[in-house]
Amino acid sequence: MNTNPVFGQYYHADSWLHRLDPRTKILGTIIIIISLFLLNNLAVIVGAFGATLVLILSSKIPFTKFLRSLKMMTTLLLITVVFQLFFNRGKILAEFDFTLTTVNLAIGIAILVLFFFSRKIITKHRFFLFLALLVFCFYLQTVVKSGKALANYSLAIYEEGLYTSLKVVLRIITLLLISSLLTLTTKPADINTGMERLAKPLKYIGVKVSILSMMISIALRFIPTLINEAGRILKAQASRGVDFKEGKFMQKVTQIISLLVPMFVISYRRAYELADAMEARGYVPDAERTSISLLKYRARDYLTLLFVILLFSAIIALKVSDYAI
Amino acid sequence: MGINFSEVNFSYQKPKRRRAVVQTLHGINLRIDDKGEFIAIVGHTGSGKSTLVQMMNALLLPLSGRLEIFGTEIKKKTVLKPIRKRVGLVFQFPEYQIFEETVLKDIAFGPKNFGLPDPEGRAREVAEIMGITDLLERSPFTLSGGQLRKVAICGILASNPEILILDEPTVGLDPFTKSELLELLKKLNREYEKSIIIITHDMDVVSEYAQRVIVLKEGGIVYDGDKKTLFKKEHLLEEYDLDYPETMRILKALKERFQADIDINQHSIEATYQEILKAFGEEDEH
Ligand SMILES: Nc1ncnc2c1ncn2[C@@H]1O[C@H](COP(=O)(O)OP(=O)(O)OP(=O)(O)O)[C@@H](O)[C@H]1O
Ligand SMILES: [Mg+2]
Repeated sequence: MNTNPVFGQYYHADSWLHRLDPRTKILGTIIIIISLFLLNNLAVIVGAFGATLVLILSSKIPFTKFLRSLKMMTTLLLITVVFQLFFNRGKILAEFDFTLTTVNLAIGIAILVLFFFSRKIITKHRFFLFLALLVFCFYLQTVVKSGKALANYSLAIYEEGLYTSLKVVLRIITLLLISSLLTLTTKPADINTGMERLAKPLKYIGVKVSILSMMISIALRFIPTLINEAGRILKAQASRGVDFKEGKFMQKVTQIISLLVPMFVISYRRAYELADAMEARGYVPDAERTSISLLKYRARDYLTLLFVILLFSAIIALKVSDYAI
Repeated sequence: MGINFSEVNFSYQKPKRRRAVVQTLHGINLRIDDKGEFIAIVGHTGSGKSTLVQMMNALLLPLSGRLEIFGTEIKKKTVLKPIRKRVGLVFQFPEYQIFEETVLKDIAFGPKNFGLPDPEGRAREVAEIMGITDLLERSPFTLSGGQLRKVAICGILASNPEILILDEPTVGLDPFTKSELLELLKKLNREYEKSIIIITHDMDVVSEYAQRVIVLKEGGIVYDGDKKTLFKKEHLLEEYDLDYPETMRILKALKERFQADIDINQHSIEATYQEILKAFGEEDEH
């Protein structure tokens, strides 16, 4: 089961990052993320990225664990790069002249058709294959000039665009790595306790923090259970002839109802059972509660937090005094 | 025809390139006739019984090997609806499928999906057979667990499948309802020549009703054959995690206590009674 699919789940290792108090890590992560958005100089961002890599090394977590969260964002990153590359104005770095002729149009169409029919044979990494083929099709238009010319156009890469896209990509990657670092080095329960403690001051404005955090942690806990349950309902209805691939509008409505109703009924029953079980074990919503994981602030926590805050202040100070960082 | 498994493997995880996956079922070879079979599937908790029957209804696809249901090989692209009409599966937990506002509508849901004529008439018919006509107009969400189970069974029976599979159908039923249900299954089996497959942990049910027993252990079939041969074995518990049925336990105790010449491998109350009479030489007084 995986409750936190975007950022990796807790990975056990023995490092100073694992030993830090969750409050330090949560606060630190938030401050670092804000700082990242303040940075606007490529060299500085590269520095931040390098520092993050050092942090990852010191966490003793295999790098492949981090790759997973990056992988999910590849599409987003690629789109960002393409947009930034071509749609920024300024000094031209490279320019490509394309000529669409009858010959390379035919080749292009043939490649796309072949790609479409290869879906039975090549099943993996189709997205990257498609990208490669697309780039190839454009490349053809710069070299193959024979045949009747249909259109002439040019695309330019601007220096500004290259820098911006590099900055954006590095920033997003660093951001993902830092957040993964938090979830990989901290158990979900500890993150929850940490959040609860950090949110304590909210009680002075009338927010019931302990109840809120209980609600959130129960909700998170039940997401995989509910997904499981949805799968079972789907199967049970499929065996009664529900076929989600077919049907007219009214049938579709019935099909969806046949899923939603059992889902709600089961969730409701679960909620009541859980409430009863909690009450049977003496849970009183407003009671003062102690936590199973006692949080204790140590010297290393103060030091880490101090360092992060100093860093942040330095960035602010430099920003305010107009340094290009 | 019927259902054919040959060298079927199954895993809940997606196959990975380099890493071996945990196979929930492995090396399954099985042939089930579409007429007249009465099969009990038994095995330890987690041995893969529910997984196996879900494959029979094409709800889960084999990882490798060949699965044929009514002559159609089950693959990703196979059209499954006609197959699911002919193989009915009643799930372990009825609450996962009940959703209509009345019991009648819920029972008629299956036949309606399969495009059978007069779904509500069929629903009334099966409700009559199962003895729940008084529940038809009620909301299914006000029913007890046992009543709900009967409704779920009716919901499948109403589509009139040729092979009927029930995943632990007797759990949560009182003894009377339980034997009523089993007698009904027997009737469907005898009179309408339907193949019945039940998953159960209850050895008395196996002993009294099943003709054929399939024993699963850790995802593989370790026994497939008639029940007398199975119960003849000495080390059922150690080998298959199974117990002996009540009738055999009684006969065994009698045999040991009186050193009598008894064939303990008897599977109905009547046969057990006759065996006792035979051994102790008393004439039938009626
Ligand atoms: N949806 C699922 N995802 C992953 N693993 C599953 C899933 N369903 C079952 N399993 C696993 O597959 C194995 C076989 O499960 P299955 O439900 O077939 O057992 P069973 O023999 O029906 O047990 P029981 O007697 O408790 O009903 C178990 O180890 C179980 O944990
Ligand atoms: Mg089961």
